[in-house]
Amino acid sequence: MAATYAAVICAFLVFLTFTVHGEACTSPQILNERVYSTEESFTASETAFIVEFALSCKDGDKDLFLHADINGRQYPVSRIIDGNNEYQVSWTDEHKTTPTGQYVIKFYDEDGYSKLRKAQRSGESLSEIKPLFDVQFNHRGVSTGPYVQTEVLAAFVGFSVWYMAYNAKSKIQA
Amino acid sequence: MLRFTAVIGILLLAGFCQTEDTGARLLASKNILNQWLVEGKDLTVAYNIYNVGSSAALKVELRDETFPTSDFQNVHGKYVVTWDRLAPGSNVSHTVIVRPLQAGFFNFTAATISYIPQEDAQPQFGYTSAPGEGGIMSLREYDRKFSPHYMDWLAFAVMTLPSIGIPFMLWYRSKSKYEKPVEKKSKKH
Repeated sequence: MAATYAAVICAFLVFLTFTVHGEACTSPQILNERVYSTEESFTASETAFIVEFALSCKDGDKDLFLHADINGRQYPVSRIIDGNNEYQVSWTDEHKTTPTGQYVIKFYDEDGYSKLRKAQRSGESLSEIKPLFDVQFNHRGVSTGPYVQTEVLAAFVGFSVWYMAYNAKSKIQA
Repeated sequence: MLRFTAVIGILLLAGFCQTEDTGARLLASKNILNQWLVEGKDLTVAYNIYNVGSSAALKVELRDETFPTSDFQNVHGKYVVTWDRLAPGSNVSHTVIVRPLQAGFFNFTAATISYIPQEDAQPQFGYTSAPGEGGIMSLREYDRKFSPHYMDWLAFAVMTLPSIGIPFMLWYRSKSKYEKPVEKKSKKH
């Protein structure tokens, strides 16, 4: 009798661990996604990226601790206090080393992140570790303003007009 | 001699106290990445938190209440954020974009951080570094200094056009008048 009790308790414990350690946030949905990336070098000496979003989980999971993977670099995702399951991931990088174009940010929960780190350490393929969800956006690059200053252009135009006039005058006088 | 040994003793004790395991220790910085601060233009504020301690910091919270809504408009990013855990030797970054609403001098002061250095410990409070006082340029001054002045140069071109264009027209007319007979003569040959 005692053995069956123990078995039942064991089964219950196993069930409990499965439900607790099961995948956090099933079928996640991203709401109110807002992406910012520096567009003018005037605004910042480094390119800043900010990705903000709210997460809605089917199972009602809240206040997760997420990690973001951007081009092989991992960043902890900050959670907005007093927010409705809102998150923000932001990072900065030098203008020169920041490529323009499409960016894919993969988000992992704590379980996925530890698997990812383990795979990275042992040099295994990372493609098998599926992110919880991902966010894609386009970075247009940072403009440093016009290539030629307008005063330089005006000086050039003025000089060429003078040169043409001088040329014509010396032709007449020759 | 006694004093010397006492000093050595105190130094050793201080060293010992420092090497003692105190859990997580966070260092935080707050930087403004702009070279120029301009009224109505984006201003990038970057925060970095480093864990230089020996264990993970728990419930790390960054709170910046130094941007009053009367002076700054929040464009992107939030002022109050949290991370559940920050591993030793690692760092987190956070960025906020604000727009200054008024020109003038503004003292950018420190944001606050709080964290639990180890399990069952009392929360610790700290401050980030403070960027200090910065002058916010008015939009008009910014335009005068940095804008390409397209309209100004266009007006300049229009104004200089008569003084160059009229002599040019006169010269061109007389030139074509004198050159035409030469062409006709050369055709006859």
